[in-house]
Amino acid sequence: MWVYGKAFFADAESAKRWKSRLLVAVVLIHGIYLGVRTIEFRHPPATTIFEILTLLAFSVAVTYLFIEFRTKARETGYFILNIAFFFQLGSSLFIKDLLEVPEILRSNLFGLHVTAAILGYAAITISAVYGFLFLMLYHEIKASKFGVIYKKLPNLETLEKMSYTAVKLAFVLLGVAIVAGFVWLPKAFTDFSYTDPKLIGTFAVWILYGAGIIAKRSGGWTGRKVMLLSISGFIITLFSLTFVNVFLSSFHKFY
Amino acid sequence: MIMNIACVGISHKTAPLDVRERLWYSDDEIRAALPRLKARGLEECVLFSTCNRTELYAVGDSIATQIEQLKELLIGEKKANAHVGQDQLFAFAGIKAVEHLFRVASGIDSMVIGDVQILAQIKDGLSLAEEIGTNGFLTNRMFQSAFHVGKRVRTETLIGEGAISVSYAAVELAGKIFDDLSKKSALVIGAGETAELTAKYLRAKKIGKLLITNRTTERAELLAQRVNGSVLPYESFRQQLDQVDIILSSVESDKFILSAEEVKTICRQRHSGTLFIIDLGVPRNIDPATRDIENVFLYDIDSLNGLVDENLHKREKEIPKVEQIIAAELSAFTQWHTALEVHPTIIALREIAEQIRREEVEKNINRFTTKDRELLDLLTTRIVNKILHTPIVNLKNGQEESLTERLQKIRTVRKLFGLDPQTEERKDAH
Repeated sequence: MWVYGKAFFADAESAKRWKSRLLVAVVLIHGIYLGVRTIEFRHPPATTIFEILTLLAFSVAVTYLFIEFRTKARETGYFILNIAFFFQLGSSLFIKDLLEVPEILRSNLFGLHVTAAILGYAAITISAVYGFLFLMLYHEIKASKFGVIYKKLPNLETLEKMSYTAVKLAFVLLGVAIVAGFVWLPKAFTDFSYTDPKLIGTFAVWILYGAGIIAKRSGGWTGRKVMLLSISGFIITLFSLTFVNVFLSSFHKFY
Repeated sequence: MIMNIACVGISHKTAPLDVRERLWYSDDEIRAALPRLKARGLEECVLFSTCNRTELYAVGDSIATQIEQLKELLIGEKKANAHVGQDQLFAFAGIKAVEHLFRVASGIDSMVIGDVQILAQIKDGLSLAEEIGTNGFLTNRMFQSAFHVGKRVRTETLIGEGAISVSYAAVELAGKIFDDLSKKSALVIGAGETAELTAKYLRAKKIGKLLITNRTTERAELLAQRVNGSVLPYESFRQQLDQVDIILSSVESDKFILSAEEVKTICRQRHSGTLFIIDLGVPRNIDPATRDIENVFLYDIDSLNGLVDENLHKREKEIPKVEQIIAAELSAFTQWHTALEVHPTIIALREIAEQIRREEVEKNINRFTTKDRELLDLLTTRIVNKILHTPIVNLKNGQEESLTERLQKIRTVRKLFGLDPQTEERKDAH
């Protein structure tokens, strides 16, 4: 992240040369860590919120690498990796080694549910980062400021397109997670309830993104408004993922 | 060997425009002047003239002592003695003249730092000299090196980056808002110089649709022809505003052409979000309150000037890098020039002949008896020395020849005998 920051703000040549290679190395190490963890504890690292956070950090970094190799938005890594860093920080500080895993977490549907949800959340995060970058550039151009943000970021339309693509992807993935959840949860939990705060939270986020997509497609919503919506969606998601998990009682927690 | 090059000229740094224009040479005037200049005892000469500078590069023996005479020639050719003083001309001799040409070609000597046109203008200057035949061995090499400087500076530094005119800054800004200008439409209100320049830039950036409207329809039609656009009647252009993504306005008007309310209405009618409005009118054509409307970017002359100033500042920061390139190329040029000296050529010639002799003797030494071997060495050395004697004497003499002739002679010898490291002929012959 520091190297990406150096490449973005200080225009350091060596940082520009090394940033991608370093990120690939970090992602590989992270991948190996997740693999070893899965083998050692005999369950995928998706059973506690902190395991999910490290998985999210990994997904975000991998998705960003894909973006860097495939699109013109090569200068946005610093911002996206910031998010991955905080996810990982949260995970590293609190992660515990959970050896006893409830039997219900060994189902195929659970696998689909969690994979879709994690990728969906990663897409939401990336969409929000692009939304945030859009707003920064939007305000710089509006205020006739031409600093490093203006110089380095791709144009507004590209940022908006990238954020929107990520939102569409997130909507589909969360949809899959929700459907898989609805099929699997009542079978797996006796205390299953449709009024569970986490369910309502996730569903609300999904509806919000759906409404956003409809508003953009048929209502002609563009630019700043849509980007604000994307960031709000991310904040609500973060709230649902952390606050609800930590403070509210729910059948949907396992530690 | 002293570099027998000199340069005299006038530029924005030494004289104001009304003086500079007295020394401005058209291409035809350059064609006419070059043979006359050469006839005044110059071996080579190249002359180029732009709106900001006129420069004469001359090669000749003892050219450094002829500076005043060169200035006189440059002024005299234009019969501008009454208007231009010699003190308004700059002059450089030897390596300083070469350095000056490199600086000019790099763009750091230009009125607008990093000016990209100057290189083409210098090239035109050399082409004219080639056409008339007043260029030569030294000027060719010097100008080629200058072109190399120009090329390196433009690829290795950011000296030419960033718009430095208001019109271009506006178009560059459009590229920071929209992804693909070929899918966008622009409306140009007005048909004056600024409007035309911006329309041309938009066309160069491959704008999808270019509409022109103007109070006088004929002028709009003329501009539309020049920039490959289509005309909208001035009375009804407002009805089409919901179809465009970029509005450029540059007309003289006492009141706003578009109010904030009108722009708000356009935004509601538009399907795609962002609207970029460039107001190049003085007084302003567009209501400044438009700036507060969401997804509308309004830029006037002042805000664009801010962008231009910033870009100029960035270019200035690149100067040290350019200076480094100039220093490196100057050193390469000096090396090349030194290599032209007679003395190193003679040494190299002797060395190569001696090397061949020794190799051949060693190869065949066993065919001779021990007694004959000493004789063989003596004999072959004598043959080589005799063969080389006349060429070396001719190289050393020749003071009466012109510099170009001498340089060409040295060059021929170096090439014939493969004395330059990059020459491969000699190796192949082995």
